[in-house]
Amino acid sequence: MKFTPRHILTISQLALAGTAVLLAINIQAQSTAQIDFESVGRGWPLAADANEYEVTGATYRGGFFEPGVARTFLGGAMGGGAPEGIEPLERDLFTSDDFYADRDLWMDPRYYRCNSSAAIEDMWGANATGSEIMGPNPPATAPWGKCDNDYPRESIISPYGFESAQAHYEALMQETTERGGPTKHTYATVPGEWSGIYQHPVRTPNNQYWYKMRYNQVPTILSLLTDQYQEYFVQETFHHGNTNAAQWQSQYCWPEGFTRRFHEFAVWEHYIMVTPNMVQIMAGVARNFITNIHIGREFNTEGVVPRLGEDVPRWYGETVGFWEGDILITWTSNIQGWKNHSAPEHSNKMQTVEIYTPNRDEDGNFIGLNHEAIFYDEDVWVEPVRVVRNYVKQNEFDDADATPYVFVECVQTIFPIDGYATPVSPGEVIDYEIPDMYGRPWAEIWDKNFEQDMEKPEEEDIFSF
Amino acid sequence: MINFKKLYKPALALSLLASLLGTPVQAHHSFAMYDMRNVKLFTGVVTRIDPAANHLAIFFAPMNEDRKNVLRDENGDPVIWSVEMQGSAAMARQGVSVNAFPQGTVFSVGLHPLRNGENSGSRQGGLFKCPERTPPAPGMHCDTVEGSIQIGDEALAEATLD
Repeated sequence: MKFTPRHILTISQLALAGTAVLLAINIQAQSTAQIDFESVGRGWPLAADANEYEVTGATYRGGFFEPGVARTFLGGAMGGGAPEGIEPLERDLFTSDDFYADRDLWMDPRYYRCNSSAAIEDMWGANATGSEIMGPNPPATAPWGKCDNDYPRESIISPYGFESAQAHYEALMQETTERGGPTKHTYATVPGEWSGIYQHPVRTPNNQYWYKMRYNQVPTILSLLTDQYQEYFVQETFHHGNTNAAQWQSQYCWPEGFTRRFHEFAVWEHYIMVTPNMVQIMAGVARNFITNIHIGREFNTEGVVPRLGEDVPRWYGETVGFWEGDILITWTSNIQGWKNHSAPEHSNKMQTVEIYTPNRDEDGNFIGLNHEAIFYDEDVWVEPVRVVRNYVKQNEFDDADATPYVFVECVQTIFPIDGYATPVSPGEVIDYEIPDMYGRPWAEIWDKNFEQDMEKPEEEDIFSF
Repeated sequence: MINFKKLYKPALALSLLASLLGTPVQAHHSFAMYDMRNVKLFTGVVTRIDPAANHLAIFFAPMNEDRKNVLRDENGDPVIWSVEMQGSAAMARQGVSVNAFPQGTVFSVGLHPLRNGENSGSRQGGLFKCPERTPPAPGMHCDTVEGSIQIGDEALAEATLD
């Protein structure tokens, strides 16, 4: 067989998805940042280690992904039937014609057949894993995940108790000040060993974390969300699992959005450059994620959200930070609300406190960074949540085998046609509705194509006086 | 001896180029699409601010004459117009932003309409924001409402079209 570039792309996508499955069953310990004192707001241990959990949703292992391992089903049951001992619901996400009408069922894991949101996303073959898992009569014959598998909610919630990113950041600043900081680095003292290329987080061993959305029952994630964002999350899960009308932002060359840098496949290798007053992190696949951390600067806090520049929300926000020795503490705000996929949407109020702490081997050599991020978004999360993961350094910039960063220009070839993402050839003429890029264009596509007969909640009337 | 005749054309070209380069860039597209001879004046309800880097746009539903609701089409849906302005950062400096003009804000503005008749235009003259949930009296605009906020120094434009 002759492999074309398209085949190679498909194989690389398959390999990537396979790697995710392999890593999902890699049982080893994950470390949080190792610091030698009890901080007010960083480095606290996780209540549970995601590396020790089996994925929640139905999936496959073996076959192409694991040569020599027979392709076997990993989950509760195939073919639509419920696992032994589980009483299925009469109506669930895969048989419903109106998820809005099912609101009373949303908090029951059986509504999703005990699958995670990421597993539901995969079922029709979204991540090139094949769609046979959907059974002979999809979506009704969608498989079941494992109803006992669920990463603990208490491990997701931030342990620090701060109600805002500002309060969290200021407490860390005060702590650092009391410890003699913040450190004012020069080019001679800045931790230059940080500069370099870091491994794709998904390809990094022992790097599982809940935000990949593979370790939780959907209701566990819903329990962290406000009513409005519960609805948004179920809406997407429904269209992933039932209508098979995924509206991923990258497929249309839309902005990726801030939270995508924490998800599985939106960012691959990370390119980090360190100077005394600026740390830059670049990564990307369909879009460029460029995080500029302005060391020593302060936010203007007079507006609705803190910001550095003008009162204009930025797709990836603005970030300030300070050093405590070789630890970098940051605060990001002024973020444009947007979506992820298989993970909750975020609002313009989204803010994060992120801490980068060096990981070292037994001899004290720098091997990478621990990245601890606390999400604050009162419109979305009922409590702040925390994501912890690690970046493993794989190259210096001047290594002979280092791959230079590829600045991405996304050229759109896929368009929504009748609500489905569809490749369109040059010269082909289509009807195309301009998306409202500062609204929820993905939801407009679902609304117009799949939800016309559903009973949606009434919207607020802003036009009557 | 210098031949000034020979130098005249290149010098003129360089001079023109220099003058062009010295002109501040105001737009990323031609404004010839708009009918600059005419102005429409609206008081409307904000449905969306698009804070695009090149041109901020306000999408709005024009209010009806009695200022109790908005104009609607044959299906009963609000008629939507948009008005484009300077870039989002420049407009934020003047007080027009996503946060300052949330959905439901009532404001008044003049615009040069598109030549092709579509519901869009380019801002002309002053812009006034009414106090929250306080539209003007019938037939009036936000510049007449006590407590309204004026954006910029200009008065509301004079309409030349209904």
